Amino acid sequence: MELTIAGVGTRLGGRWVVDGVDATPPDGALTGLLGPNGAGKTTLLRLVAGLLVPESGAVLVDDSPVHELPRRTRARQIALVEQESSSTVPLTVREVVALGRIPFRSLWGSDEDEGAVDRALEAAQATALASRSWATLSGGERQRVHIARALAQQPSLLLLDEPTNHLDISAQLSLLAFVRGLQITTVAALHDLNLAAAFCEHVLVLSAGRLVAAGHPADVLRPDLLREVYGVEAEVLTHPRTGRPVIAFHETTTPPSQESS
Amino acid sequence: MTAPVPVRRRTPLAPLVVVGLVLLVVTVLVAVAIGPAGLGVGEVARSIGGHLGLDVTPVPRLHDAIVWELRLPRVLTAAAVGAGLALSGAVMQSLTRNPLADPYLLGLSSGASLGAVAVLVVGVSLLLPVAAFVGALLALVATFSLARTGGTLTPGRAVLAGLAVSQLCAAGTSLVIFWTATGDSYREILSWLLGSLAGSDWQSVAIAGIAVLVVGGIVLAQAVRLDAFAFGDTAAGALGIDVDRTRWTLMTLVALLTGAMVAVSGAIGFVGLVLPHAVVALTGPAHRRLLPVTALAGAVFLIWADTLARTVFDPRELPVGIVTALIGVPVFAVLLRRRQGAAWS
Repeated sequence: MELTIAGVGTRLGGRWVVDGVDATPPDGALTGLLGPNGAGKTTLLRLVAGLLVPESGAVLVDDSPVHELPRRTRARQIALVEQESSSTVPLTVREVVALGRIPFRSLWGSDEDEGAVDRALEAAQATALASRSWATLSGGERQRVHIARALAQQPSLLLLDEPTNHLDISAQLSLLAFVRGLQITTVAALHDLNLAAAFCEHVLVLSAGRLVAAGHPADVLRPDLLREVYGVEAEVLTHPRTGRPVIAFHETTTPPSQESS
Repeated sequence: MTAPVPVRRRTPLAPLVVVGLVLLVVTVLVAVAIGPAGLGVGEVARSIGGHLGLDVTPVPRLHDAIVWELRLPRVLTAAAVGAGLALSGAVMQSLTRNPLADPYLLGLSSGASLGAVAVLVVGVSLLLPVAAFVGALLALVATFSLARTGGTLTPGRAVLAGLAVSQLCAAGTSLVIFWTATGDSYREILSWLLGSLAGSDWQSVAIAGIAVLVVGGIVLAQAVRLDAFAFGDTAAGALGIDVDRTRWTLMTLVALLTGAMVAVSGAIGFVGLVLPHAVVALTGPAHRRLLPVTALAGAVFLIWADTLARTVFDPRELPVGIVTALIGVPVFAVLLRRRQGAAWS
């Protein structure tokens, strides 16, 4: 599946929150979508998901604009996991995952492939949770179940909005390792630059709606870019075991006048 | 091969529906028998059988008239109205992700009452259900526009907006009746605002029954779409649902159903609030299972509520809405306490 983001832009309340973004995330790999709060990451994911119609440009999946695909066809190709998505409905884990089969069901509710739910639970290593009530899950378990629901859609493009938010460090690492191992084209909005550096094959950096850098994390995540986009000072080191970039932040140099007092 | 996954088994749908139907038939027979005149259940069954053309021993004419002309239309109207209100509540709760959503609390029922009495003034009773539908639809639009001003739609805001709309419509209804009524205007106001099944006849059975069967059937066909709303609008959109069209179609159907119910019985509260919460524990939240069982439970519930309303202070009658409120308000309180805190704001 080939994903092309071609000059995509949209306004919210008159302001261009996503502005002329061109990108081609690599096939079958994990792409990190980076940028400070309000840079337009969530809006760009919704545009790629076909849930918003772009005012300029188009998102192309195998050369068809996603916002022109029939809804069900689109939902069989693209799955979205929102940030902190919760429900008051008393669902079991299995029922949550089965929601991913809705695009495959006829109006009267039959689904040709009941086994897809089992396979999605297994792929997300959530089989043991199947009969648990959704409300009793931890944050990490919920994310895993959301991804299992997305996998039940059998997508060729997976979109994740801040999937590691509120997870402890071990859950963050295992979640991203698992997503990378899926080998589905995935675009994940991420806040933690070190996680992006460690797990992503490709990163896109947004700032105020515009794409300011794209490429391999080692080429993109440089001190000058971090200063320009995030307004922070950092050294970029190399991880002694993995060889991936590691970003060490430090305080902005304190003016000498304050130091002497 | 994947090993079979252990699943918390939900009771299968077919036995639930069969039990519900049996319970409904028994309830109808028993409820028709209850009351002055000392009818037996067997006599009731024979009277109904006779009218359905079955070969049964005839019942004395007076008893037959009580069953066929008075009590059976009333009990069947109660069944249809109860089913319709319970369905409306279930659909509204899912679409708005608000456990307190219900046609009464969000003002639809009062809007329908106002529409109905406004048309009665003009004297065209044929238009009654249509006017009630228009009233419900306007109240729906008013509640949601009021709840949305200056922010997103939260359960708390929706209920406050519903309160404002229903108070306004109730005041309007009372005003219209005071202005025009020649007889006992208080009784008439009460029966529109709190609901009453005392005026039921075969025409009300037809209006409420056809509305429930037709609208209920259409809503049931949308069950899968309703499931998709469990995690909100964006999630439903990502599952291939046309969110806006689905929401407005189903809300319009709920207004239609509420209009038909209110046209025959006034604004009966809390049936739509209570029943879906009670039934979901039994069926789970999948709408293909939840909706039919909720409808059956609503039918049985309202028949018993109305039977209480007409017998407790016999020969005087309570408006049935008093009985449903006495049962519904504690449930409302439990729901409020259970969801105390962040989720409401």
